[in-house]
Amino acid sequence: MHKESEIRDPLILGNKTYHDITRDIARPVEGKANKYWWILFGLSVFLFLWGIGCMAYTIGTGIGAWGLNKTVNWAWDITNFVWWIGIGHAGTLISAVLLLFRQKWRMAINRSAEAMTIFGVVQAGIFPLIHMGRPWLAYWVFPFPNEYGPLWQNFNSPLLWDVFAISTYLTVSTVFWYIGLIPDFAMIRDRMSKTISPMKKKLYTLLAFGWSGRAKHWQRFEEVSLVLAGLATPLVFSVHSIVSMDFATSVIPGWHTTIFPPYFVLGALFSGFAMVETLLIIMRKVVNMEAYITIKHIEYMNVIILFTGSLVGTAYITELFMAWYSGVAFEQYAFLNRATGPYWWAYAAMMSCNVIIPQLYWIKSIRTSFIATFILSIFVNIGMWFERFVIIVTSLHRDFLPSSWTMFSPTFIDIGIFLGTIGFFFTLFLMYARTFPVVAQAELKTILKSSGSEYKNKTHE
Amino acid sequence: MKTTKKYWKGLAQLHDDPIVEKLAQNEFVENLPVDEFLGDKENLSSTSSSRRDFLKFLGFSTAAATLAACETPIVKSIPYLVKPDEIIPGVANYYASTIYDGRDYASVLVKTREGRPIKIENNGTCSNSRVQASVLSLYDSARLKHPLKSSEESNWRTVDYEIKEKLSNIKDGKIALLTSTILSPTIKQLIQEFAEKYNNVEHVMMDSTPYDGILDANLETFGSRLAPSYSFDKADVIVSFGADFLANWMANEYATDYVKGRDPKNGKMSKHFQLETNLSLSGANADKRIQIKPSEHGYLISSLLDGIKGNKFDSRLEKIVKALSNAKGKSIVLSNSNDKNVQLIVNAINNELSNYDKTILTNQPTYLKQGNSQAVDNLLSDMKDGKVSALITYNVNPSYSYNKSKQFNEALKNVELKISTSSYNDETASLMDYVCPDSHNLESWGDANPKQGNYSLMQPTISPLFDTRQFQETLLSWTDRSDYFSYLKSFWIEKGIDWNVTLHDGYFHLEDKKIKLKKFVDRSSPIKNTISTDLELELYETIALGDGYQANNPWLQELPDPLTRACWDNYLTISAHTAKEFGLENWNVSNGALNGSMVNIEADGVSLQNVPVLISPGQARSTVGMAIGYGRTKAGKAGDGIGFNAYPFTGKKTISIEKVEGEYEFASIQLHHTMMGRDIVKETTLSEYIKDPSSGNHRETYATYKGKLTADKVTLYEAHDLEIGHFWNLSIDLNSCIGCGECVIACQSENNIPVVGKEEMRKSRDMHWMRIDRYFSSDMTEELSAKEKISMIDMFSEMEEPSENPEVVFQPIMCMHCNNAPCETVCPVAATTHSNEGLNQMTYNRCVGTRYCANNCPYKVRRFNWFQYSDNDKFDFNMNDDYGKMVLNPDVVVRSRGVIEKCSMCIQKIQELKLNAKKSGQPIKDADAQTACASSCSTNAIVFGDSNNKDSEVWRLRNDERAYDLLDHLNVRPSVFYQTKIRNKA
Repeated sequence: MHKESEIRDPLILGNKTYHDITRDIARPVEGKANKYWWILFGLSVFLFLWGIGCMAYTIGTGIGAWGLNKTVNWAWDITNFVWWIGIGHAGTLISAVLLLFRQKWRMAINRSAEAMTIFGVVQAGIFPLIHMGRPWLAYWVFPFPNEYGPLWQNFNSPLLWDVFAISTYLTVSTVFWYIGLIPDFAMIRDRMSKTISPMKKKLYTLLAFGWSGRAKHWQRFEEVSLVLAGLATPLVFSVHSIVSMDFATSVIPGWHTTIFPPYFVLGALFSGFAMVETLLIIMRKVVNMEAYITIKHIEYMNVIILFTGSLVGTAYITELFMAWYSGVAFEQYAFLNRATGPYWWAYAAMMSCNVIIPQLYWIKSIRTSFIATFILSIFVNIGMWFERFVIIVTSLHRDFLPSSWTMFSPTFIDIGIFLGTIGFFFTLFLMYARTFPVVAQAELKTILKSSGSEYKNKTHE
Repeated sequence: MKTTKKYWKGLAQLHDDPIVEKLAQNEFVENLPVDEFLGDKENLSSTSSSRRDFLKFLGFSTAAATLAACETPIVKSIPYLVKPDEIIPGVANYYASTIYDGRDYASVLVKTREGRPIKIENNGTCSNSRVQASVLSLYDSARLKHPLKSSEESNWRTVDYEIKEKLSNIKDGKIALLTSTILSPTIKQLIQEFAEKYNNVEHVMMDSTPYDGILDANLETFGSRLAPSYSFDKADVIVSFGADFLANWMANEYATDYVKGRDPKNGKMSKHFQLETNLSLSGANADKRIQIKPSEHGYLISSLLDGIKGNKFDSRLEKIVKALSNAKGKSIVLSNSNDKNVQLIVNAINNELSNYDKTILTNQPTYLKQGNSQAVDNLLSDMKDGKVSALITYNVNPSYSYNKSKQFNEALKNVELKISTSSYNDETASLMDYVCPDSHNLESWGDANPKQGNYSLMQPTISPLFDTRQFQETLLSWTDRSDYFSYLKSFWIEKGIDWNVTLHDGYFHLEDKKIKLKKFVDRSSPIKNTISTDLELELYETIALGDGYQANNPWLQELPDPLTRACWDNYLTISAHTAKEFGLENWNVSNGALNGSMVNIEADGVSLQNVPVLISPGQARSTVGMAIGYGRTKAGKAGDGIGFNAYPFTGKKTISIEKVEGEYEFASIQLHHTMMGRDIVKETTLSEYIKDPSSGNHRETYATYKGKLTADKVTLYEAHDLEIGHFWNLSIDLNSCIGCGECVIACQSENNIPVVGKEEMRKSRDMHWMRIDRYFSSDMTEELSAKEKISMIDMFSEMEEPSENPEVVFQPIMCMHCNNAPCETVCPVAATTHSNEGLNQMTYNRCVGTRYCANNCPYKVRRFNWFQYSDNDKFDFNMNDDYGKMVLNPDVVVRSRGVIEKCSMCIQKIQELKLNAKKSGQPIKDADAQTACASSCSTNAIVFGDSNNKDSEVWRLRNDERAYDLLDHLNVRPSVFYQTKIRNKA
């Protein structure tokens, strides 16, 4: 199987045995939660409930509860939507694309990254639903046999493409995630005592789907993983390309841009990796995974962030160049207004958080520091939120006819809903951290013996 | 045959046995064994009905009660027992009538549906937004619903009886009738008859904005106190000193003629100079506008007379003198001054230019302004002296609109009998002993004589909604008669008119006695220049509220001012330069909404606190303007407390202002004032136009492999087939549009557009389906920046600033009905689709409200229902009022929250047109195809029709050299197109 290399850096620290791994991964599920977990969980649930209240208020009174107006008809709603979708991207990239490329380091983080994807897409899905004027009719966006004529959807509309792209993405991601979970669920099932926790035992038995660890099972498992990875890979690129077409296919200067699909995909990976880092740095502390999520993983991800961040910066500059080069006065004004108009601060925030700050990763000491990475990852998350805000709001607020030009300012409902989704996301993630094997231990065990023993014998840090 | 048969149940009943009656009263013959049952504790505790059963019963009864409560509310629709012949449900009836409320006059057609007037259409005369909106005032639930006696509900019998008795008992004192200008010959006769019955009756007329200057000047020069009529279509040069004749000055009838005289087609256009303080609608349309201070007004007119006589004159007037000298007998000089001496000079100028009987017709005077301020002042002093025993007011609200309202209210206490005939319990009526509410125009019979020889009739289109009675009927009843209708009819039949025909037409001409005028006498005396550095105030009327009579009309309150684009407010307009001197500012808050500084203003003991200041380009330096008609306190829930009452400042010239702390929140719906160098309103000059009719309208071309092509030739789309059937198009002539906003109200009325209130307007959430964009010119242009090497960033930021005395353009914008519509492709549920008649259709039922269409609309004409605007107490306007809802057009659905709406090109009217054509088997006549905006436009700037009909006006306009598509580089191919604006400047 794997050759043990004398000089390769270990991906698992602490000279773990197979049983150590089993015990470490099962511990959060079997044990009691620590104080940090309860504090974070309480805060998240509070935010979540707050968000639910704001959403209920919106649905009860109307979209007028938000700060939108006749000119800026989308703002925080779609900004948040794109942001969350973008965050979801890293999960699929890590589990599918890196699987195909045989990147072993992904094994410690793919489970959580995928969980983040799914939870992120769930948050993203909230926004298209509640941003509708009549969300109770949201099912009309699905093509279902009906007696309205029959009346079908408008297949020209990028919003409809979104519906398909996102639902496909969510389905494939969930299946992929679940398939990977089966051997790990079986591990937990086998460790559960029938007498002490019969309900849990039953639950994990159900989830383990009859896994027995036979060679045939392993073979099918590997095959399915590979097939799903193949299916998921194009999705990494398609979902955000399609989301970008919401803007790219329109006529609004600042939206009508052919560079958007690659630009959005890169931005999504960029923000997705940042969010993975934010989460993992918290998680390794909260559920004691320091031995599995190491600085090596963080550094790999930082390199990707540096790379995608630079590409995103290139895209920003290309946009500016194209606006000037096009010779279209409306385009030129749109970009000039972005950088120097009333929302210059949003543009400046985007530029500094996304382009300038990630350049710090050229420095090795920053790239290999948990603290610095955590701070920088927050910057990237903020920067990428502003990127979407800048694209959406600054393009809309001053479009063709100056008579309609106006501004946007969020209400506390806008803010409440956004915070609510953050709360919901963390609620889901924290619950996941306590009930799911947060690291793909079955896979991880395959690389336990791939590094040299002299490294292994050192305990971490 | 009367039946006397009686049926009985038993012999006891037949014989009227008392036991029958007793049993019928007593439902339970025996006492119910309640005590027996509940008292028996033992039995109760051992009952077989368990807790489980109890819960079952509870569950069942709760479910049953809930289900019973779920019943749909029943809305009764009651069919006619005997259907009136002329009413067919679903088919509109039109009646010719007249609107006159003491301020605005128009001959109109009233559209009624199932007996409800729902829309005002023009009937050959020029009208305005207030006339259009008056149909909503009919359904104003703030109108009085019964007569009042000492502010208590009363009835007509008591009120009439007491008033008659009190009037008859008056011996010495005067009975004063204080009315607005009376246009009605029958009211005049009734007042005469009233005066014959009672002692010492004096009739005084007052106008909310007095026109004594012009009336008195004409009395001196022509020997008759009259206001002439003007033929703006015959004038080559128009010089107006402050007179906003296109909006509110004198009679609202000049715009049509004015625009007729400015059709560039024949290579000729009138040249319009406006010298004014505030930027008015007329000033905005002028070819040359000069800013003056009110104190210079008289001097400049005097200087103009000098210039025309060949003497030395003010250099600012050079072009005007030259133009006028070349247009003798073909010019008009006007002034809004209320100073007789100034008007005498104006008369002298017009006489010198021999304009009388050519462009200014003194023998065809207009009767819209007959008020006499001197007489009103005399009445006030008589009231103070206790010489007035009874005061009857009609159509006036002196406690609000009289500049001496304080003294008037004080003097009212000296009057024994105070009667108001106001429809509202307004500022004046609430101080009166009796209020005998007048019916609304649309509920009344009447007549009017707005101009020498011109008459019109008013007929009711609905029976009075409330227990009101029209003033004429009231006068009749006080002279012991009744039935005004017969009175009116016999009055006119005696004059020899055909009653039925006239009533059908609405208006008629009668050869009146010729007006005898003296020969022109020049009594003018020159006025010297007095240079004043004081801050001066000039009052004006807004296009929406006028004198404030209809202040409780939410449509009008929400109609943005054509120039400041603010609504639900009045404010001090001030130039940027003067604002800076006083440290006053306007700024946009984070959601774009406009805020401004506030000041206290004071003049001769009259003051107002915390008045907001709106920086307005075009305002002369060291001057401020303020609109009257606001600051009502007893108008009703929509009008109360909106703005400030500026009437007390009438006649005050210099004022002082003082900045106060705090900021004021405006509801301005256009926050950006210039075109930013974009080709939005295309314009050219007359001389350029004569050389090349398509000047200013050369389309941008794009380099392709086939050579240079215009945008419509470079397309990937397959075009819709629009050759077959109709192709509805709308042409908007930017040269004819004066920006008055009448179409906006007409559209609101036709299409059930909700009123959203100040807060929502402030948040840029206006619901109007059409708006009139106003752009000011800026000092910064692309040429200038190229010449002076100014950076692009600086150029754009300077472009945002309008010039101090800007050129103004108006551009009505509604849904363009693009044939490559950006909105249609993006709707996920296909709620907005294209018709094969060139219309972009909106299916409200299908809309889920993603608002993607609104984002992708390059013209931003799509409106989203942010909230439920009907039946919602938070939007307590006409759609939340049982009376107010009666104005709704039954052919147009009231939109629910969460859906997008927009101009439908009055699809309901198109549909009716097609159905009628189909029934009659005749092709559609071009003149019959109308949208609400097109039919309301007094200047015919909006033309609607079928472009596939090659004889149609709209097809001709489509192929005119001036026609252009807005934002044509997008190649969205709108069905609405514009005609370039042409200025008559060198």
